[in-house]
Amino acid sequence: MAGFIELMLERFKVYREPGYYKRFDYWWAMVIDLDRCTGCGACVTACQAENNTPVVGEEECGKGRNLSWIRIERYIEGEYPNVKVKFIPVLCPQCDRAPCEVACPVYATYHNQDGLNVQVYNRCVGTFTCATYCPYDVRRFNWFTYNKKNFLKGNGGSSTSFEPPLDQQLNPDVSVREMGVMEKCTFCIQRIRAAKDRAKDENRPIRDGEIQPACVQTCPTKALTFGDLNNPKSRIAQLAGLSTAGDLHYLRESGSKISDISSNPRTYRLLEDLNAAPTIFYLKRVMKNGSSTAGHE
Amino acid sequence: MAHQQQGTSNISYREVNDDVIKSMTETGRGFYLVLAVCIVGLALTFGLPWAYQIYVGQGVTGLQSPEYWGLYLTNFVFWIGISHSGTLLSAILFITQTPWRRSIYRSAEAMTFFSVVTAATMVFIHMGRPWNFYWPFPYPNQREMWTNFQSPLMFDVFAIGTYSTSSFLFLYFGSIPDLAAVRDRVTGWRKRFYGALALGWRGTDREWHLLQKAYTFCAVFIIPLAVSVHSIVSWDFASSKIPGLNKTIFAPYFVIGAIYSGTAGIITLMVILRRALKFEKYITKVHFDKLGMLLVVMSLLWTYVNVTEVFTGWYANTSYENEALKYRMFTTPSAYLFWLMIACNAFFPLLYIFRKIRLSIVASLLISIGINLGMWIERFLIIETSLPRKFLPFMWRDYHPSWVEWSITAGSFIFFTSLFVLFVKFWPSFSIYEIKEDIGIPMERKGR
Amino acid sequence: MLNRRDFLKLVGVGGAGAAAGFALGELTKTPPAKLIPYLIPPEDVIPGIANWYASACMQCSAGCGILVRVMEGRAKKIEGNPLHPINKGGLCARGQAGLQLLYNPDRIKNPLKRNGKRGKGEFEEITWEEGLSILTNNLMELRSHGEADRLYLLTSLIRGHLNFLLADFMKAYGSPNYLQYDLFQYENLRFANKIIVGQYTIPHYDIANTNFLLSFGADFVTTWISPVNYNYGYGQMRQGEGRNVRGKLVQIEPRLSLTGANADEWVPVRPGTEGVLALGIAYIILEGGYYRGGDAKLWKDALKKYNPEAVASTTEVSEDRIKQLGKEFATTKPSLAIGGETVSSYENGVSNLVAINLLNHLSGNIGKTGGVIPNPDVIKKSFNPIATIAKDASRRKIKTLILHNANPVFTTPETLKLKDALKDIPFIASLSSLHDETTALADLILPSHTYFEDWGDDFAEPTVGYSVATIMQPAVSPLFNTKGAGDVFISLAKTLGGNLQKDITWEDFGVFLRDSWKKIYERHKGDIKEANFEDFWNDLLARGGWWDAVPKASKPVRVAASEVSAHLSSEPAKFEGNDKEYPFYLILYPHLSYKDGRGANLPWLQELPDPMTSVVWGTWIEMNSKAATGMGIKEGDMLLVESPFGKITAPVYFYPGQRPDTISIPLGQGHTSYGRYADGRGANPIELLPAKTDPKTGAIPLNSTRIKITRVNAPKSFVKMEGVAKELGRNIVQTITPEEFKKMGKEA
Repeated sequence: MAGFIELMLERFKVYREPGYYKRFDYWWAMVIDLDRCTGCGACVTACQAENNTPVVGEEECGKGRNLSWIRIERYIEGEYPNVKVKFIPVLCPQCDRAPCEVACPVYATYHNQDGLNVQVYNRCVGTFTCATYCPYDVRRFNWFTYNKKNFLKGNGGSSTSFEPPLDQQLNPDVSVREMGVMEKCTFCIQRIRAAKDRAKDENRPIRDGEIQPACVQTCPTKALTFGDLNNPKSRIAQLAGLSTAGDLHYLRESGSKISDISSNPRTYRLLEDLNAAPTIFYLKRVMKNGSSTAGHE
Repeated sequence: MAHQQQGTSNISYREVNDDVIKSMTETGRGFYLVLAVCIVGLALTFGLPWAYQIYVGQGVTGLQSPEYWGLYLTNFVFWIGISHSGTLLSAILFITQTPWRRSIYRSAEAMTFFSVVTAATMVFIHMGRPWNFYWPFPYPNQREMWTNFQSPLMFDVFAIGTYSTSSFLFLYFGSIPDLAAVRDRVTGWRKRFYGALALGWRGTDREWHLLQKAYTFCAVFIIPLAVSVHSIVSWDFASSKIPGLNKTIFAPYFVIGAIYSGTAGIITLMVILRRALKFEKYITKVHFDKLGMLLVVMSLLWTYVNVTEVFTGWYANTSYENEALKYRMFTTPSAYLFWLMIACNAFFPLLYIFRKIRLSIVASLLISIGINLGMWIERFLIIETSLPRKFLPFMWRDYHPSWVEWSITAGSFIFFTSLFVLFVKFWPSFSIYEIKEDIGIPMERKGR
Repeated sequence: MLNRRDFLKLVGVGGAGAAAGFALGELTKTPPAKLIPYLIPPEDVIPGIANWYASACMQCSAGCGILVRVMEGRAKKIEGNPLHPINKGGLCARGQAGLQLLYNPDRIKNPLKRNGKRGKGEFEEITWEEGLSILTNNLMELRSHGEADRLYLLTSLIRGHLNFLLADFMKAYGSPNYLQYDLFQYENLRFANKIIVGQYTIPHYDIANTNFLLSFGADFVTTWISPVNYNYGYGQMRQGEGRNVRGKLVQIEPRLSLTGANADEWVPVRPGTEGVLALGIAYIILEGGYYRGGDAKLWKDALKKYNPEAVASTTEVSEDRIKQLGKEFATTKPSLAIGGETVSSYENGVSNLVAINLLNHLSGNIGKTGGVIPNPDVIKKSFNPIATIAKDASRRKIKTLILHNANPVFTTPETLKLKDALKDIPFIASLSSLHDETTALADLILPSHTYFEDWGDDFAEPTVGYSVATIMQPAVSPLFNTKGAGDVFISLAKTLGGNLQKDITWEDFGVFLRDSWKKIYERHKGDIKEANFEDFWNDLLARGGWWDAVPKASKPVRVAASEVSAHLSSEPAKFEGNDKEYPFYLILYPHLSYKDGRGANLPWLQELPDPMTSVVWGTWIEMNSKAATGMGIKEGDMLLVESPFGKITAPVYFYPGQRPDTISIPLGQGHTSYGRYADGRGANPIELLPAKTDPKTGAIPLNSTRIKITRVNAPKSFVKMEGVAKELGRNIVQTITPEEFKKMGKEA
């Protein structure tokens, strides 16, 4: 009987989480040290260069329709002269229990065997549900055919987002998305694929630090670290304080707070109480009186 | 006496047939005018903007991050809501054998079907790639791609599919004897058309018996279905994590709201039909009286659910809920909308407590339109005041619908009206045989 | 039933139709414009496989090393060179956006000759032969009239061998007027270092290893000198591995910069009094007996008027705070004081920087790890004050001006009248690869390569304590009909003959570069150890540079109190305009992504939200909302900003990190002729400045005027990406206190 209940619970997990895997091949994750991050924005431009995200222009930016997959959020607390400014880079945290995956009626977004939350552009019909369900607001939509739209019209100029010869810069490993399609951070899946291919050719697992997404690579302060959480010896597991937590999958199965598991008291996950189980681990910034007041705007 | 209450007892069988068939065969200039206005209006407000949107992209709307859901989904929920009363009311009244149902149920059912169709168009308009509209349907294909049955939107596809099918069948089954009656009185293409639609109805005992069975089955089937449909629509929102949307009360809230707006919709429609088709003798003050009473009940229920929703949200006292509520009630760019909604849905309908108001056609019209305005605002507020206040304040942004969205919203009303205009022309808009039942058997009556 | 005959007929009809359709399709098909010939593929092109070329970033003067990812002959991505000692694999947003310079749609594609009135921007395309002969003829004529010294060459900051070539060229031609100009050329800082560190260079500020960093207006995480290196240092200072203490950063500046936002403490000092505050801190160091030198008495005498009371009243920083800063700075080891652009850009910039540097001297930070590490000497270039060009031009001393990537018209105040002066020059040739405000005045444009298409090298200054040279190699073949600047001068030398032909004998710049590097090879120093030059050269290209990672032992410098105090001033910096009429101090600062304006033509950078305000695609005015009360100003309103010298209009952004008596405006926008992405966007606040330059260093003091504001009804252009910048208790950016952090270390 108990066995049956267990089996049913297991099945139930699959029903609740479309992307449920007992164990991932690799479990890609990121650690962002907020004490290192200065908010300089290099990652934002690096991402734009790597992932063919179009420039949308002033007017569209004003509507919140810029397509950056990673953004720096900046929070200011207090009034002059006691001003506290805090930065946090926000990108898709590839949630383990991703709300977006449940939302999509056509499986355009699903969890892959590497623990990534992937978006299939070809399958997307544009119901916007994933973006609405996303608590992190990291999903971006292709509102127009950007290589046809003149985004300088308001300014009297003329330029599409990939105005020739700027189009020659486009990364051939990444598609240029069609109008009407949702997109988001992929952890530079093209680099992951390339590294996997290489590793397979050489008949070895991927080495720690072998893959660096564009944002991680460019970060001048080395605030971002990327790696495989399946490997407790990896740098990110060390940084996040998850190396001694025994089976990291406990983290997935138990749904406990990271502060209960991690040996690093600085580790936290953004909006953890929503139980989306994001796989980006932020390291708390060290500052005096940094916590925000619960007061209202 | 039931028919005394109806006030329809002085009508002869012939008169009923004449009246209904006349409304279908004799087409005045007025009809063509209305039809022309509808077609032109539809093209201008609905077709062209939609074509423009498909061609240029969803960017022509005011949608933005994080308000990825806008007026289109508001309209979708609104029309699903409107659809709710027609069939549900008709089915409930049928089962409870309520006699005053008979003269209104046909158009109410049509209203249901047409508003479901209108709601469905809203979904397609809302899509980023509407040319792939069929992808959410689980059709077999060589790429072996299947749909995600975990998605609340997928629930929607089935719920709405089932609901529109069953409400159409409900409408159709009930109309078969009438279609046959029309068939018997018309000539030319109409005869062939209604002949086909009447499915060879001859009026035998067996046929009546079977019809009754099928009709009763539909009525019973539709009641839980209608409840489930709007519950499922509410889950599109409630199964997200978003403050202001993730509420357990949403399913009953939506169902109550739907019946409420649907009933008000029926009243509005009755007033118009009564005037336009000169059916004063079939749709009488009795109907307004009964529906008015229903509205008072629904209004109180609606208020109760709303108070519960706001109160529990406020009492929870989390930053998320607080901000969502504050934004809804006070700080949104159009904060008066919330209070307008409260006035329209919680206060004005209470006037129906007075019999005088219930019997007043003008007051009924105003109040029912007010309720639907309020209900539209409710849906608007649910979506547009929750999404702009999601979890990360850095991303907060106010939503301003674009002209395309407003135009298509207006167009959806014209779309619905057009369908209805065609309906009264091509379909017996009152149940001939059931009104006759109401009148009673002529032999029993004196003086004729 | 279908009989055989019908069947055949149908097959025939179908077949004919298909054939006709195929033929029609083939006829109407547009042939593919470009195919990669697979049979004999070009060198290095394997479809789908990327090549990485090590090169040098030229987006600013930091001297970072980059790797350019090239696929099928096209540059796809830039990444920081992980081997490079300056940027260590990192790269800033400007560096990342370099590709948009290469592929900019507004690049000059062919040599151009002016056609129509000067400055109207009307040009006609000519061939290189024509273009070069026009320039050659002009130079020949000049020389034959004995006016060779009336040729002026104005370039941007060039430090590699191109600099030597140009110097050789000018020398052989007979003109001493080879000038380099950059709005941020840090001459004040060099000057101040000469006094305290003893060298006319920028030293290496070892932020990575310091435990207490006292930054006076140095916005080192965005634009100051070598931002990527400093960012790396910042990261290490905070959370570097193997560190047991987390370094502390105190930022002293009137406007909270991005660096200030990351600091542990912000001291909103009164604008222009940073130098005084530094001396006040110096006073505390001396008073507290923290200075170990024998001449403490002399210093005490020299600084006696900077007692805390006096300094507090001047700087509006409380006495306690000054004392505490002084004590902390002197007792935390190693500590480091740096003076940045804000401080350097007052009219008394040099004395401010001397005062700040003095702190390093007094607490013994010079030459120490985690302090100021002297750099190897660099070849001194003539950073001539831009004002001299204006003067020389207006005196009609300049006959011919050759420009190379310098855009002084945009970065000098209108009051200097440089633009008018340039109009008086009879002949201007520009080697710019893109149109800019200065090139717009040219008679001849010979477009040069971008740094992805050209050979070159760069000797970074400052480096990290030892010599670093970065090599630049063509990652892609030239996109347009352009030539490298070096090649242009070599071919000019050939046709001009005379001394030039004798001195400049190389066939092109690439050969020149290689030959020049032989000299470096022959010294047999540095990290590349190879038996012959060929291997050395290949290694060099593969690694992207050469560095000699042996820090030199710094020789102690004698700093005499009497000498130094001559450079100090107890007065706050002067601001033009009286404070009644012009109530606000104006602080101009380089924008994170455009710096002095050079990045404004790159759409990626335009769309990168400014980290502090999240504004994109425009200029804004930063103002404290407290100062706006009673003026009826709402955020986003257009304000007219007036100084005694000029006025601009821009939208206002309410910024709590701003002294209420100060207004800040970022530089970089307000271009009029810089390509489609930059033109007509925002305003150029340099127009507000007086015609002042520093007499010693030629620097333009950016923070030297007062302004007033009025609300105007103008079309709004204000786009910010932020919604609400408050966390509302949602624990989005979680923090722990330094005390908790310290405890953490003990437990672990």
